[in-house]
Amino acid sequence: MIGSVHWKFAAAASVLSTTLLMLTSGPVGAWSYKEAAQPYAGTTITILDEVTPLQEAMKKLVAKFTAETGIKVNYELLSHPEVISKGQADMLSGRGAYDAVMLHSPQMGLLLSAKVLRPIDTYLANSKLTNPDLDSADFIDPGSSTLAKFGANTYGFLTWNYNQVYWARGDLLNHPEEKAAFKAKYGYDLAPAATLEQMRDIAAFFTRAKGAKLAGETLSSDFYGIVLEGIRGGTTFWSVWNNFIRNWGGDLFDAEGKPTFDRPENVAAVQFWADLWKSSPPGQAEYSLIDVPTVMGNGIAAQTIAWSDFVLGIDTPKASKLHGKFVYAGIPPKVGQTARRQAETEPSLVAISTHSRAPEATYLFLQWMVDKATQKDLIGSLGGGVPVRNSSWGLPQIKDSPNASLFKAMSESLRHGYAKPRAAKLYEIADVAGAILQDIATGKITAAAGMKAAQEKVLGICQKCFLTAGN
Amino acid sequence: MASILNSESLARDARTTPSRRRTKGSHFGYLLIAPTMITLVVVGLVPFLYAIYISLHDVPYGRVGEFTGLSNYRALLWDGRFWHSVWVALVFVGIAVPIEFVLGMLGALVLNQKIKLRGVIVPMLFVPTMMAPIVVALLWKIMLAGSWGLISYNVLERLKIVSETSVFGSADLALYALILIDVWQWTPFMIIAFYAGLQALPLNPYRAAQVDGASPLQMFVRITLPLMMPLMAVMVLLRIIDAFKVFDTIFLLTGGGPGNATESPSMLGYKLVFEFWKLGEASAFAVIIWVLFFVFCNVFYQIAKNRLKAF
Repeated sequence: MIGSVHWKFAAAASVLSTTLLMLTSGPVGAWSYKEAAQPYAGTTITILDEVTPLQEAMKKLVAKFTAETGIKVNYELLSHPEVISKGQADMLSGRGAYDAVMLHSPQMGLLLSAKVLRPIDTYLANSKLTNPDLDSADFIDPGSSTLAKFGANTYGFLTWNYNQVYWARGDLLNHPEEKAAFKAKYGYDLAPAATLEQMRDIAAFFTRAKGAKLAGETLSSDFYGIVLEGIRGGTTFWSVWNNFIRNWGGDLFDAEGKPTFDRPENVAAVQFWADLWKSSPPGQAEYSLIDVPTVMGNGIAAQTIAWSDFVLGIDTPKASKLHGKFVYAGIPPKVGQTARRQAETEPSLVAISTHSRAPEATYLFLQWMVDKATQKDLIGSLGGGVPVRNSSWGLPQIKDSPNASLFKAMSESLRHGYAKPRAAKLYEIADVAGAILQDIATGKITAAAGMKAAQEKVLGICQKCFLTAGN
Repeated sequence: MASILNSESLARDARTTPSRRRTKGSHFGYLLIAPTMITLVVVGLVPFLYAIYISLHDVPYGRVGEFTGLSNYRALLWDGRFWHSVWVALVFVGIAVPIEFVLGMLGALVLNQKIKLRGVIVPMLFVPTMMAPIVVALLWKIMLAGSWGLISYNVLERLKIVSETSVFGSADLALYALILIDVWQWTPFMIIAFYAGLQALPLNPYRAAQVDGASPLQMFVRITLPLMMPLMAVMVLLRIIDAFKVFDTIFLLTGGGPGNATESPSMLGYKLVFEFWKLGEASAFAVIIWVLFFVFCNVFYQIAKNRLKAF
């Protein structure tokens, strides 16, 4: 009897203590960064990332990771060209000053071919290191998978998700006089461009000289129907390729990576893009990705295609008097090409260098950067941002944002945004083709002659330009 | 005995000391210049020799690979883009440096007169030269940007001096705009250098010329110019070398465009290294530019020394 009482008491005590333990420490065996990082506490890792408001906000959160894990993080931010030159130099030279470096998708080909990127598959499979709630399926695709995976390997997590959106002056598109005049001229209602052809019509319609009327007001200076990035060495080449050429059903390479610059669809798309320059501010050839939002914010143009993270910096009460008058959409497709849409996006990751001395600790940090909780904090601190996870679209800062149409546009562009193909000489190709595109746009050569010249020059760089898994 | 010894030792001393002193002195001299020489060799000569070495090799991903002989040189010398970049630099140097020289000398001559506010003007002349390249580029972007630049919008476009394009967006104008920026930045430096030179000239030749009844123009041509020649030669040489290497403003304002209109050798070299990772070609590029400059500097020195009597 006494034994039975003892047994019952012991069982009750055991249940009670187990319950208490579960209540105080969560489910038995629950994964935490603290526990996962125990073997690496005290380690210092150095990460190189790009400086934009997104990364600056992330930098403020890094202390949380260190507090939780004991892993000290030197989170170094440099400008776009410096991240590319310094990061690549560090990885390729084997110096190993950085444990991980932020990579834009066009860099992947060179670094994969140099075999300086450390795959993370072994860490992903390690239950001690990988959060069971990581939820890889939540990363926005096709950007995530086309960026992070190559062959059988995974090289990181989608960490930044730059994307271009269509951006227009809602106040002009909704103005009754302008709507009536537009319908009379083009036979359909004036609205944010749903196709590239509509974008062209809107561009031509709103291009007006000083002294003409615009939305009932007399213009004190020339006004332009569209502004596009045009500088050499910026992102002009990528935008023309993905927003125009691919939406035209063309492409610059075939499936095997052989250059096909002079395909008729490509020539037609480039001609269309160059024709838009007639409705653009003079000197668009010098406009960088920073000038374009500046011009829009100053109210000189009716519409554009711009990087959404730059839009976030302009469409604010402080930055532009036109705040609240803008409308956004995903990159418009070409009429009849809706089945094969594409938008210029730049999914980016932070990849672990093969020369990293602390790859596990680095992996934990990279995982933490894209963790749902960190992403929630990041978007919360930015009051928006650019999501890398589908679940982030439901966060109040995005769902209930005054710029909700911008986030909808981002979502639409990202649905059609892919990482760049893996070609070791992609920047060289972009440089050569970028110069020719400028010559086409400024009327120095025709689209047909330009794309033929581009084909010849790119063939001089590589015959089969894509990297194949395993080589 | 002691006195003999003393006189002998003195005589020996007299015979040996000077040479010993000379030997000691020359060793000491080498010792003094050793840190500089070692530094120069380490930071200058060694990398240059290494550049020659890797220019003869295939350098995939920054790792020195197979010996390829002169193929990197051949690739560059047969590439029209390389020669175009050299042409861009020659145009840049050929226009910018003479303007800077003439304006610099004129400015220095004006400053050398007893003008008011000289104490204010001279420090202000340092401002453009001291500015960081990024600040210079931003400043001129704000001035000349198409549609919204201060000068572009208010002057060039309003007066239809530039229409349908912009200064940096036009292949015909961009290079001249970059030359203008260089002139703006470096002419004050030339003024200050020449002004310092003028201040240091001896007065006696001028007094003698005055006594002989020489006109100011004669004094300038016969006295000032010959006396200033060494300084002028050095300044021109330095500006030629510096202007040929122009990079910052091109990188920041045009990226080498429109097309290849403003792609200087430095810009191309940057791309070869940091964008294309063609380190073998980039090293060959550096060696070729060095050889061109070596020849040019020697010719320049001989002309300055023998014909202009500058050195």
